[in-house]
Formats: sequence, C-alpha cells, structure tokens
Amino acid sequence: MAAREKLGFLRQRFGSAIVRADLTSDRRLYVFVEPRSVKEVCRALFRELDARYVITIGADDRPWSGCFMVAHNFAFDRDRLLVSVMCLLPADSPRIESISDVVPAANWAEREMRDLVGIEAVGHPYPKRLVLPDGWPDGLHPLRKDVEWDEAPDCDDSGTGYDFDDPPEGCTVVPFGPFHPTLDEPAHFRLYVEGEIVRGCEYRGFMVHRGIEKLAESVLGYNDIPIMAERICGICGCVHNVAYAQSVEEAVALRPPPRAEYIRTIMLELERLHSHLLWVGLACHIVGFDTLFMQAFRVREPVMWIAEKISGNRKTYGLCVIGGVRWDITPELSDELKTVLDKLESEWHSVARAVKNDRNIQRRTRGVGVADAKVVKEMGLIGPVARAAGVDIDCRRDHPYAAYDRVGFRVITAQSADVWGRLVVRTDEVFESIGIIRQCLARLEPGPIQTPIKEDLPAGRFGLSSVEAPRGESHHFVITGENNRPRRWRVRAPTYQNLQGVPSMIRDAQLADMTIALGSIDPCFSCTDRIEAVDVRYGSVKVWTPRELREMAKRPQSGRDIKDS
Amino acid sequence: MVMSWFWATIGCIFNAALVLVLAPLFEGILRKVTARVQSRKGPPLLQSYYDLFKLLGKEDIESGEAPWAQRFAAWLSMGVVLAAVCFVPMGFRAPLGGAGDALVLIYLLMLGGLCTLMAGLAAGSAYSLLGMSREMMLMITLEPLFAVAMIVGAVHANSLRLDAVLGGAVYEGRFGVSGLLMLAVSMASFQALVQRVPFDIPEAETEIMEGPLSEYSGPKLALFKWARMAKLVVYAALFVALFVPWGSGLPFPVGWVLFWCKMLVLVLVVTLVAATHARYRVDQAVRYFGGMLVIAVFALILATYGY
Repeated sequence: MAAREKLGFLRQRFGSAIVRADLTSDRRLYVFVEPRSVKEVCRALFRELDARYVITIGADDRPWSGCFMVAHNFAFDRDRLLVSVMCLLPADSPRIESISDVVPAANWAEREMRDLVGIEAVGHPYPKRLVLPDGWPDGLHPLRKDVEWDEAPDCDDSGTGYDFDDPPEGCTVVPFGPFHPTLDEPAHFRLYVEGEIVRGCEYRGFMVHRGIEKLAESVLGYNDIPIMAERICGICGCVHNVAYAQSVEEAVALRPPPRAEYIRTIMLELERLHSHLLWVGLACHIVGFDTLFMQAFRVREPVMWIAEKISGNRKTYGLCVIGGVRWDITPELSDELKTVLDKLESEWHSVARAVKNDRNIQRRTRGVGVADAKVVKEMGLIGPVARAAGVDIDCRRDHPYAAYDRVGFRVITAQSADVWGRLVVRTDEVFESIGIIRQCLARLEPGPIQTPIKEDLPAGRFGLSSVEAPRGESHHFVITGENNRPRRWRVRAPTYQNLQGVPSMIRDAQLADMTIALGSIDPCFSCTDRIEAVDVRYGSVKVWTPRELREMAKRPQSGRDIKDS
Repeated sequence: MVMSWFWATIGCIFNAALVLVLAPLFEGILRKVTARVQSRKGPPLLQSYYDLFKLLGKEDIESGEAPWAQRFAAWLSMGVVLAAVCFVPMGFRAPLGGAGDALVLIYLLMLGGLCTLMAGLAAGSAYSLLGMSREMMLMITLEPLFAVAMIVGAVHANSLRLDAVLGGAVYEGRFGVSGLLMLAVSMASFQALVQRVPFDIPEAETEIMEGPLSEYSGPKLALFKWARMAKLVVYAALFVALFVPWGSGLPFPVGWVLFWCKMLVLVLVVTLVAATHARYRVDQAVRYFGGMLVIAVFALILATYGY
C-alpha cells in the first residue's frame, strides 16, 4: 500500500523522469529515475516525505547494461518500506549530481563511490579521498569490473604527507589514534583543541580496508560469502552473515523454513546480548570504573560459552547458507540456553542497578556527546544513538525479518539524546533480548532447517536487507549475478553512519569526554572498513612480509556450487 | 649532641628503607583486594616487587623533548618522598620531627606535584602537556586542603613545630568542631592526595594515555612508580598521625603494630573507594575540591577562635 502511495507521489511530481518502477513486494520499491532528476527525487523523499537516508551504492554495470549504476536507498520506517532510487549513467561519463548538500548523511557514501567505482558526485561539499590509501594511483577504481581482484598497484606514499585541513585559529592539534588505548582498532581523529575544549575534528579511517566486497564479486561463491561476511566484524559478525543471506534470498524469492528463521533470530539476539554486555563494560572502563567493567565481562562469559556449545565458536557462528542455516539447536542445548538466560537476567538486574544508580557515571555521561533528533535525521544516525534521542526506529519491528514478526518485544527509547540515554537504552535492551530468545525457544517447532535449491539462482535481481545489529541498522544490497556469485554486494554497517555523527557530538565538548562520546556509538571500525582479520596461528610465530601476504592472498580459490547435488 | 645526630640519621635511613620496602607490599594488597572486588583472582601479593625489579633491569631509554629534565623529574619525585619520610612518624617519633616545621613538609609534598609537571614538560607531547595542565589544576585546588589541615593543627598547638602539630593536635584534646571538619575534608580528598581513582585524572589511561608518564620507561618509570607507591604510605602515615593518633604512644611493639594496622585499614579504604567509583572529569574535580576548600577555610576560622 505504502509503496504504491510513494510511487504515485513521485509519478505525479516528476512525471516522465520516473523511467521505471519495480514493486517487488509491498515492502520494497525500486524506482529508476533520469540522472538529472535524481537529486530532486531524493530531496522530495528526504525532506517532504521524511524518509530516512540509508546508503548510496555505486555499481559498475557495464558488462550487462553498458552503464554505471547509482542507487540511493531510503527507508520509511513507519510504513515498513525500503526505497531504492536508481539511475543508469553512461559508461563514458559516470557523473551524477551530489545529493550531500540535501542529504548530509550521504557525504561518506558518495566519496566512497568516487574512490571505489569512479562515479563522480559533482558538487560534493568535501570531495576528499575517503577509502583509498594516499598513494593509490588516481583513476584506478578497484570495484570496476575491468580491475582484477588481485590488482596491486604501487602505493608507496612514504614521501608524501597527508593533506590535512588547517586547524581553526587558536587551536592546537591533538592526535587521537590511529592507536589509542580506548580504540581497539585503528582510526585517526585529528582533534582541534582549545585548552580542554574540543572545537572540531577531522576523521581519517579506512586504514585496514581489505576489499571484501571485491572478493565476493569476483572470487567467492554465494555460499562462501556468508562465512566471510561474518568476519567483517569482530562483535556483530552474525548480523552481516544473516543480512547477506536475507538479501540474496529476497532477490531470488527464496524463503527459509520457519525453524531456520527462529534459529537465526535466537543467534542474532545472543549476539546482541554479548555485544551490549561488552559495551556497558567498556563504557565503565572508559570513565575509569573498572569494577563494573570486570563484572559485566564476568556476566557476559556464559553467553559466549553457550554460543560455543551451540555453534562451535564463541563468536563466529557460521550460521547461514542461502535458504537456511547450517546447524540446529537441539532440545538439550535449548534447555541449557534457558538456564543461562535465567542466570544472566538476575545478574544483569544487579549490574544494571549498579550502573544506573551510580552518581559518578551519571555525572560523566549526562549531557555528554549530545546528538538530538535533528542530527539523527541529518546524518542518518541509527540504533541506540537514534533511540536515545527519542527517534523510535528499530529494524526488528520496522522491517521485520527472520522470526521477529512472531515475537513480542518493546523498542526501548530515551529522550536525553546523550551518552546516558544510550547507556540506559542498551542496558534495558538486554532484557528484551532475553525475552525474545525465550519466546523463540518456546515456539521452535521441528522441521527442516534448509530450503533446497534446485537450479541456478537467477541473475540481475535486486535484494535489500536491513538487520538491526547491536549498533544499529546493518544494510546489505545485492545484485545477483552469473557464475554462482553476486554482481554487486554493498555492506553498510551501522558505524558507517554513526561515525559521521561523532564530529557534531564532540564539538565544544571537554576533551575528557571525547573517548566516552566516541565510545557511546559503540564504534566498530572493522565493520566500517570491511576488513578481514589475518589468522594468528598458535604455536608458531611468523612475521609475514607485505610481499608474502600479497602472494598468499593471490592463491586462487573456486566458489563451491550452490546447487544441491 | 653527636649522639642525637647519629640517631636522627639512623632513624631517617630506617624510615626510608621501611617505606621503600613496604610500599610495594601495600600496593600488592591494594591490587589483590581490587581484584577480589572485581571477581578476579588478581596478581600475586608480591607482584609489585616483581614489576619494579623488572623495570629497574631494563634499558634506560632517553626520549622526549628534554631527557635530562625527564631523568631529573624521576629522581626528584623519589627524593621528595624520601625526604618527607624523615618528617613523618612511622610508628616511632619522626626522626627529624623536631628539625623542621609543618611548612617544610607542606612544601616538600607540593614539590612532589611539581615533579609531575616537570615530567609532562620534558616529554613535550600533546597528551603529556594535557596531563600536566590537569595536574596543575588539581594541585592548585588540592594542596591548600592539606596545608589547611596542618595549619589547623598548628593553630591548636600554638606552634608550627612538626612534632607539636602531629599527634592529634587538630582535636586539641577534646573533639573540636574544626578538627572534625578537617577530618571529613581530608577523608573526602584522600584519594586525590594519593592519586587514585576517582582522581587519577592527570594520568587517566583511557583518556590521555598516562599523560605525563607516557614517555617514561625502564628504570625511570620504576622510580616514578615506586615514588607513587611510597606516596601512599607517606600520606597514610601523615593522616594517621594527624587524625588517628590514639595508641601511638603505647610502648613498643604494641604502638608500632597498632600504627601499621591503622595504615592497612586506610589502604583498604582507599582500595574500596577506588574500586567503586568512576573517574571524575577535571572540571568536576576542581569544583569538588573548591567546595572542600571552602569548608576547610571555615574550619580554619573556627580553629582560630578556639573551636
């Protein structure tokens, strides 16, 4: 219903500029627009219809349509609708008007599109390089189809300095990162500090980009990708695993059996549990309250153990294949999980009480790192950051997937828009997650856990999936393709948007509040950078040279066939 | 006369050795208790000795803007503590108790803060300078508190002589209001005097990466750490001498054992407070001490009127 309404509005408003529209269901709308009208369509969606900006995707579609493709994705959370505004650009001049001045949240995505696919966002307000390293040659865009996946240009940038912005008058520069005790992964914030007050900052990240999307589009097969997608993030890997599988399933209209959907829901919530418990602990550590940090980790540990019992791993569950899940939850495991949840619930009550009643924690978090509803809208912030500002969005309810439409839960919100609000939201969401898992366990009925796939998946279809990660919406976009692998797979992790809100959170704040403000979005740089970690093998210590690593990465792999034999 | 000089020297050496030997043990107790509060097993009781031993055996690396200043700051911080030790009774009468007055002690302890400033300047990195400015802000508000506590004692004792000020003079025989007020103020700011959570602001690891100490390593770091552990003992001893003197006059070894029991209790209190509080922000801490200072000055006024 809502999809038709929006389409009607756009048709009436823009007439022939709307080239084509695909309504694949009442929850998905793909509108093809003339390139010159894209910006106005986005403005209408974002400003007039109050859509939420999700992500911008650039794709090299030349081998098939002879064009480049751009998609701006928006969400109507109240209407359970995801909209993709798409357009085709001529192969000889991949240029499109930037939407960043209308939709500020598109700033990074458009820069990334320029870096990786070579589609120029004309009139971008801050056209600095975002993803590619400083020494990467101009004009070589790794996500183009004519660039080999193991292309390794000479990136020597040792002789050139990075072109930083000038700090404002009267400010000194305090480098925060790339390595800092509270940053678990490399990211660089160049803070402009006046006394103890932060006046602004410049962000520089993507230091560990490993090109997972390129690998998926050129080397791996449909069912290999979930395993790698999971390794995008060290904490919320299962989210990427499920989101990828769901987007492919949606593209090819494949529905996993109910039991698989329940198992996916259970594992996603287990992951949220361990992630939130970890975050509360880290937040306490950042403000120097190590006792609660230790207690939170003690309470968290049984969740890791039960995850290991269920999936074989504490963290990387290896959950999904296209059309289902790879393993089952036995009745014994189900009973044990219930016991773990009971213990966790009572222990978390006491930790939550300790956290919420601590005056020092309140002093350090109230009014700190404020991102109000306006910032949330402009920068496309999501997850606990948005909910703490009173913006009532949660993909589990708004864009239901897996078994979330069959369980009841509250979406926790707060009004204070500060770190304290985020703390309260996360602390209380733990109880909701426990409730969701219990409901799923009660409804888990016997049945198959995979839908068999009899023939090749059709090519050229679009699939979108939004999964509520512990940090916010994780959005995956897939165009299915030939050779048992997608043509394009775009991952938008929640931190990608939330990080863009950090500069406004820390402006004019105390330097001492910087770490907790940054920490409050639960930043996940590996998600943002989309890396794959290098295995550390126990026992033998070996230092890899960059050359050896490159050789190792070039060893050919073949995608397994997805069809059942 | 010769004999008294002799005994004073022996006493000084004995006190200094005692503090140097016992300080890591107190730190060990502190770490162990903290671990138990946090549901951890914790390091062995003697871990702090091992740590110092390891650091002392490491290569002495010169780094930062001014290596000589860095070296000097480390030595000075240790020297200051050892000098202060001679003026503080450690279960016995202070060896130099009659030689200097309360002002010497106040200045000595303030010099300890200056070492941190010098360390920060010598390193010259953005984080160490930030730590330095925080240390300075804290010093300005914190040191007067301690000074006022001594002066209240001095006013009551009608003398600035250290042996008169210490030994419970703040209460002036009966429990005067000013003495009790100062007891409260000192207890509320004790964590800061010994640089523990929630007032470890100049070194906050998660904010400014140990601040002034960030350029220190090896033996110099060992000196700083050791001085910091000793500082806990010195301040605890001072606190006991100023506010909880009862029983110190008992004959050896009862008084001596009692003194160290009181010290132990104090260290446990410090540990528990540190384990159950989040760190203050520097402006919040300054405001907090500002409030304390108002109370302290009020107590001083009361003391001059004999309350």
